[in-house]
Amino acid sequence: MHACYFLGSGLHTSLGADVSSQLAALQLPPSAPQTITVDYAGKQQTLPYKMLVNNSSADAGQRLNSVIDTVINTAMASARLHAQERQAMGLFLGTSSFDISISEQEYRQDLMHDTQAIAMKTFSSQGILGDHIRHRHGLRGPLFSFNTACTASANALMYADAMIRSGRLQHALVLGIELCNSITALGFHGLQLLTSNTMKPFDKARNGLVLGEGCSALVLGNRKSSQYTWQLRGSANICDTHSVSATNPDGSVVRQVIHDALQSARLTADDIGAIKVHGTASLLNDEAEAAGMKRVFATMPPLTAIKPFIGHTLGACGLNELLLFCAAADQGFLIATPGIGNNHDTNGDSALGISLNQCMCELPPGNFLMNYFGFGGNNTALIVSNLRD
Amino acid sequence: MNTALQIYSMGDHCHQLDDSLPDIKELTQQVTGKSFRRIGRFIQLAMIGATRCTNLSVPADTAVYLASGRGDLETTLDIMKELFAHGQTPKPLAFVNTVSNAACFYVAQLLKLQSRSNYVCNRYFAFESALQLAATDLLMNTASSALIGSIDVVTHPLDEHRQRLQLAKNIHLAEGTHWLWIGKPDAARPRLGEVIAVEHFADRDALFAWSDLHAAANTAVSRGQFVNDGEWNALTSRIAHSAIFDYRADRGYYDSQSGAAIGEFLRSDCKADVLLHINADADGQYSAMLVSR
Repeated sequence: MHACYFLGSGLHTSLGADVSSQLAALQLPPSAPQTITVDYAGKQQTLPYKMLVNNSSADAGQRLNSVIDTVINTAMASARLHAQERQAMGLFLGTSSFDISISEQEYRQDLMHDTQAIAMKTFSSQGILGDHIRHRHGLRGPLFSFNTACTASANALMYADAMIRSGRLQHALVLGIELCNSITALGFHGLQLLTSNTMKPFDKARNGLVLGEGCSALVLGNRKSSQYTWQLRGSANICDTHSVSATNPDGSVVRQVIHDALQSARLTADDIGAIKVHGTASLLNDEAEAAGMKRVFATMPPLTAIKPFIGHTLGACGLNELLLFCAAADQGFLIATPGIGNNHDTNGDSALGISLNQCMCELPPGNFLMNYFGFGGNNTALIVSNLRD
Repeated sequence: MNTALQIYSMGDHCHQLDDSLPDIKELTQQVTGKSFRRIGRFIQLAMIGATRCTNLSVPADTAVYLASGRGDLETTLDIMKELFAHGQTPKPLAFVNTVSNAACFYVAQLLKLQSRSNYVCNRYFAFESALQLAATDLLMNTASSALIGSIDVVTHPLDEHRQRLQLAKNIHLAEGTHWLWIGKPDAARPRLGEVIAVEHFADRDALFAWSDLHAAANTAVSRGQFVNDGEWNALTSRIAHSAIFDYRADRGYYDSQSGAAIGEFLRSDCKADVLLHINADADGQYSAMLVSR
């Protein structure tokens, strides 16, 4: 069995396009979302959204390419791979929307001239985005494009790590990408899962999620980095057949996936220093997550939620939230959501019996659990560590 | 990746299309013995293929790996057309089903599975990608057995589908789903064959170097659907083989046909003991699957 380490990363969210600006934003209370207007067939719908900063191109293709290229280039620069290592690395893409924003824009424009226009005439394969990225960045290793809803980039990381540990690959690039598109925005609106305020996971006033844009890249390799100490220590994935759109509220599958991740990391619940919750701020999903965690942890470790800051970045949330958590931990602090999900005060949901971290506290190196749950019953738990070997 | 994984069972479904799309709802019910409401062709094909492969009987800890070249194109297109051409916002269940791993959910629910599931999309190497993930999990002991499937559907109208896929008007179309149930060698389970290796190659030289070590005199070679004529001539003149195995015959076009090569080989009377299936992408990269029986 080989080792696998984090070698370099890049991240662009609604908080900023570089690590320092995002870390600064994470030390303030989460801000309210902006609103966007979605146009479709002469109708309009205003919706809350956490949009990327510094990326306002009107051309959907240009917008997608520029954010992906910048994030990958940042990750590659910090990983310092040789040309041959870079060429041979595998690409593990996690997304739920792929390049659908380009297809939407193209179809909208075509419909203006032709009511019988063909939809998705240029990009009808979800595999095209990965091929395009690989070509643009000179990558000639295997490509895996994961589309498992909100667990997509977490699963991408899990398999990139496994292929390096198995000796199949020496390096891998994991990429999470999620940009605003009308189908997703209106789909969540139709499901009545959106709130117009700041997301409040595990709060008695929780009333839904805010969608967010985000893109992140992580280079993995089988050699240690002098710069990074992080590695994926364990992971697990389970398909929950309770419902296609919600995790079993009794917490049984959440418990099982966390248990399996701990087992794969050869750790016990007592070894976990903090938990990054999935925390969609929907009634049932928070209930399921709380019930599952309580089944595993007799004493609950500190809990942190990142979606109140960047929104729910869907297929990219696996990597986006992990990298933000790691960046804060590298600075020695656990992200806090003051006034949100606090059962010690009055605003937490006492029925859930758990509280989110309320003030920035010191976070020593340790093992940390990351929860992710998605449509299609896809549940993933990752355990990352910044302990020196 | 040298795997030495036992193929316990297989199942598939493929139908050729002329000028219309057949309703497969009844077939789904007939094969699975259950009726399903509000699911599209992609999920229906998944259930047909998975049921034929498993006969509805696999251990609960079997993992599911699903792959496609295009994903659930029918559901996504319906939503896009309704939204932008007719001003109808996505219906909740249809929207949820746009995540193609919804098909994994329905398969896992049908077979009462409680293990991992994953969905990957690859324009050229769909089945190969799912097989690589499954092989990784089996070798790392993170799955005890693996159900691997590929699916690609056709959308109505067929001429528009051809245009979207950039196919000539005279190209015949088909829909197909191909499944294998595999795991580590187990004398207590049926043995249809063995997956010896599944590999990705950055270029032709890397493929040749590998095939020098793995292709033998008793090896038949099969041509992946994205290998063009000139490329195929170059490959077959260089790679040792005893026969060309033709699994495609008059098969209509759909993206993910590599699983068909394995299935047809295992049920054929081809004299070769081993099949080397080679596929290519548009960028000069290759995949190889080596299967014995």
